[in-house]
Amino acid sequence: MSQLTYAKIDQTILNTLTPPKKYYWGIIFLLFLGVMIGAACWTHQIFTGIGVGGQNNPVGWGTYLINFVFWVGIAHSGTLISAILHLFRAGWRNPIARAAETMTVFAVCIAGLFPFIHLGRVWQVYYMLPVPNQRLLWPNFLSPLMFDVIAISTYLTVSSLFWYTGLLPDIAAIRDRSTCNRYKIFKILALGWTGAHEQWRHYARGYLFFAALATPLVISVHSVVSWDFALGIIPGWHTTIFAPYFVAGAIHSGLAMVLTLMIPLRKLFKYEDIITIEVLQNVAKTIVFTGLIVGLAYGTEFFIAWYSRNIVEVEQFRWRAFGDYRWGFYFMVLCNTMAPLLFLFKKVRTTIAALFIISLVINFGMWWERFVIIVGGVAHGFPPHAWGLYAPSLIEYGIMLGAFCLFFFMFVLFVKHMPSISMTEMKETLAEGAGHAA
Amino acid sequence: MPRERHIMGLFRDEDSVVSAINELKQSRYKFIRVNTPFPSHKIMDALKLKKSMVGWFTLCGGILGFIGGFGLAVYASTQWNLIVGGKPVIAWVPFVIVGFEATILCSVFGNVIGLLTQARLPSYRWLRYYDPRCSGEYFGVLAACEIEQEDGLKEFFQKQGADVKVFE
Repeated sequence: MSQLTYAKIDQTILNTLTPPKKYYWGIIFLLFLGVMIGAACWTHQIFTGIGVGGQNNPVGWGTYLINFVFWVGIAHSGTLISAILHLFRAGWRNPIARAAETMTVFAVCIAGLFPFIHLGRVWQVYYMLPVPNQRLLWPNFLSPLMFDVIAISTYLTVSSLFWYTGLLPDIAAIRDRSTCNRYKIFKILALGWTGAHEQWRHYARGYLFFAALATPLVISVHSVVSWDFALGIIPGWHTTIFAPYFVAGAIHSGLAMVLTLMIPLRKLFKYEDIITIEVLQNVAKTIVFTGLIVGLAYGTEFFIAWYSRNIVEVEQFRWRAFGDYRWGFYFMVLCNTMAPLLFLFKKVRTTIAALFIISLVINFGMWWERFVIIVGGVAHGFPPHAWGLYAPSLIEYGIMLGAFCLFFFMFVLFVKHMPSISMTEMKETLAEGAGHAA
Repeated sequence: MPRERHIMGLFRDEDSVVSAINELKQSRYKFIRVNTPFPSHKIMDALKLKKSMVGWFTLCGGILGFIGGFGLAVYASTQWNLIVGGKPVIAWVPFVIVGFEATILCSVFGNVIGLLTQARLPSYRWLRYYDPRCSGEYFGVLAACEIEQEDGLKEFFQKQGADVKVFE
């Protein structure tokens, strides 16, 4: 940070917006192909019926819901970094805040797709909307699924507005260095921003309120997601620890995704002076913390089952550890609670390759956590004659591939067309640093 | 009424801006605004700005949001007056969740409306008196004077160590 100047910050970040090379468009094409595979699978499902997915009795909630929870979780750490750490005045979050916020917006978009996919008859989505209608029907607001509709749509709206507000001064900076059509587009997008003191006065206040509002929102959204399960009486789901357990898991997976995205970005865009190893180390340290919370939640679930002496709960958790999906359980314990402990060693958390690999391992483990919770609960419920197993169909794999590709497609497009690091916040950090030094 | 000339002094550091603002306020020239690449606390303090009113918009949005969200849940339930899941038709706890989410949503809408109206966005008229370097590494102090005082104001900024830009 010490070698940075305002000019160097601008130069480094604006250099990433130069016209891309051919390999960039090659990556975009491959990702687009993946998106098309997903779209084709979904189209096939719409025309043929939801039965082309592997969900069937007793497992009615499969990869569509697993991916929904997974992507909502990924979104959460973006808000943690941009809002909660902003309130705590954690300066180290500034270099990664923009990319994390972008990740949030795109991940919520992807998450929001899955309930539509899971609906099967997607054209009947309007049944969930509380609008006056000739059917004289209104949604049942006692249902956690309706909480979800409200919470996720609120989260998408709020995180998008927060993201755009944060982008505004940087869009103006791009406008000021553009010509011709690019200038015209960015002039409109910047809304006439000039960085006048009156604008900053209201902006700083508004941004603070954004952060203050996004903080309880992010906690409520994943709590609401957890209640989709916890308010049901399914063994393995019906527990009061689900809300904090899900929130911690969401932040855990999201922080891992931040590392997964930022490490290649740092290398490709030569951001080494801005996203320093200390920043990555701080993310890794936070992952250790969230990993411990998640580990505690895993243990607590087993304790509750044992202490309750409820035979159904006891059987559910015996089966979780030793039953058909035991591998999923071992993956989640190893990847989410054991692997992050490696970050306790400074050597590991200062080695880029180790950071990247462990972040991928955590992403993998967090996906399996959702599989174990969601599928495990309904596969091994109350009556033994209704127990059953589930495996995703090829259509589900196609849609999952499409979703991952769509996320990376949008992210890769973004980082080449908008500043992936906030120039404004970096300059502010630099100025404050200079002030402290003085 | 005499026509005014707008002149901007472009500074490289905040401390010079603070000193220029203080001297400008005591001079015969009219201080108009400072354009900065980031929100500078030193400059804000020097300008002795009042607290923004954006929070009131946010608060109003939040109050309306809670009433709207909770009211919507109550209205929807009373339209289909059945006991579901053993809960009363108007169930406080679940409806507070709907009210809470609506509170956040409408607070944010209020916040955005407050920000746009208070910061007067979108507005493109000030781009006329703006230098693109102000979003980079310069701090621009915009001042106005009568045409015959133009040289004096230019000299004032130069003495402060600024680059000068005159808007015709």
